[in-house]
Amino acid sequence: MKRKLFLASTISSALAACSPIGTALNNNEGFHKALGAAQGLNHMAIGTRGLAREYTDADVDRDFRVNGLATPGDSHYQSLVHSNYRGYKLIVDGAVERAHAFPLAQLQKMEQVTQTTRHDCVEGWSAIGKWSGVRLADVLAAVRPRTDAKYVVFHCFDKDESGTSYYESLNLHQAMHPQALLSLRLNDAPLDADHGAPVRLRVPTQLGYKSAKWIARIELVGSYANIAGGAGGYWEDQGYEWYAGI
Amino acid sequence: MGKTIYRYAVATRLSHWLWVIAFGVLISSGLQIFNAAPYLDASDKSNPARRVLSFDAPSDGVGTTTIFGATFTTTGWLGWTDDGQGGKTARAFPGWLTIPSYQSLADGRRWHLFFAWIAAVCWLTWLISTAIKGNLREMVLMPGDIPKILPMQLYYLKLRKEPPPHGIYNPLQKVAYTTIGFVIAPLVVLSGLALSPGVDAIANPLTWFFGGRQFARLWHFTGMIALIGFFLIHTFQVATQGVINQMTSMITGWYRVGEHEAVES
Repeated sequence: MKRKLFLASTISSALAACSPIGTALNNNEGFHKALGAAQGLNHMAIGTRGLAREYTDADVDRDFRVNGLATPGDSHYQSLVHSNYRGYKLIVDGAVERAHAFPLAQLQKMEQVTQTTRHDCVEGWSAIGKWSGVRLADVLAAVRPRTDAKYVVFHCFDKDESGTSYYESLNLHQAMHPQALLSLRLNDAPLDADHGAPVRLRVPTQLGYKSAKWIARIELVGSYANIAGGAGGYWEDQGYEWYAGI
Repeated sequence: MGKTIYRYAVATRLSHWLWVIAFGVLISSGLQIFNAAPYLDASDKSNPARRVLSFDAPSDGVGTTTIFGATFTTTGWLGWTDDGQGGKTARAFPGWLTIPSYQSLADGRRWHLFFAWIAAVCWLTWLISTAIKGNLREMVLMPGDIPKILPMQLYYLKLRKEPPPHGIYNPLQKVAYTTIGFVIAPLVVLSGLALSPGVDAIANPLTWFFGGRQFARLWHFTGMIALIGFFLIHTFQVATQGVINQMTSMITGWYRVGEHEAVES
């Protein structure tokens, strides 16, 4: 009996040691960095292949969950909302041959595609929406990326409490995926301000934080190392993976 | 005093102990990740109408656990718990159970996705090395072992004097190896992969097979409960069946055979 007691206490103290040891290692810079190695493996093993599952109208969440940073409250964005986005232009520039600013009406005249796909949040929940808009690939084709363009960076209107702007990035392979969508509509209605109007990204093959809302400008770059925190996105700068396929 | 046999190859021992570490890390980092959305739905997308389990803090200082619609007050243990920084907060699983102890989904994911690879490689190493050595037949439950399960259990419970005749591993050990290696491990790995939007795009049927993404999350959690159950039974068996001999053999590879154990191979 003594032996069992000894073993039981050894096991429970070993379990209880998991958290403090893990926390101490977590705060070690080198160890923390080493753990990040899994991202490269996941990117290689999973990558962006195949197509996200498409759903039917019956599956759609009519009241699609609003998450992420607060809807921009600054006067510039609010004036766009009040003018029904008449003054809005989507700037696409950087490593391209023909930089262009697309008025909303021009985006609406391009070929519209619809996807009813699931939005998988990194927190663990999911919601299904019916999204319509322009393929990101079509917009990129119109501006002709230069050969030195490797990444597509999305600069957004939303800022957190400390004033840091939201941004995201994809590599060209991810950006050319047929389901990478610049969404203008949600559930058969024009995108509303809380869901990222007038233009938001949809990347159903990756977690929700890649699907940037309130896009102001798309910039093609050779590297995102010099943008904001250098990790390729607002959440990436706070330790989340750039490759968000898992 | 029986003779000693070389029972565990280096690969088996190494993968076993690495697996023990991975087990601890995956559970504590998994609970950290779970805390970001502390509920489980038996559906594809999130759907409160099909909620099976949730942890809530209805008001400051009160934690509750709701399972199949029945709510229990679990203040201090679940729902309202230790925040990992000396205080209490609305948090499903307490800080002393998570890596890191404080709330950090990003760091929890970092640990979890790293050790998921280690656990998967360990599992494959065990599977391949065992198959190469031809021990798989010795470890996997065969139809002929089934009638021996009850007598073996009775022997463990000291209700029977002698164990039924068996090979290197007794029928209950075979049940354990088969359950962990061929049921729980694949369940946990596959349901985890089914949560990934990237994997879902490659293999739509996988996520569908688990009943959708939220249901896969429920399966993944269930797999963790099964793992903990296996761990408790396994350590109990080790503790009651000559803990020194068992531990020595898993460290050095050499196992002392008891007088009742027939060595057929």
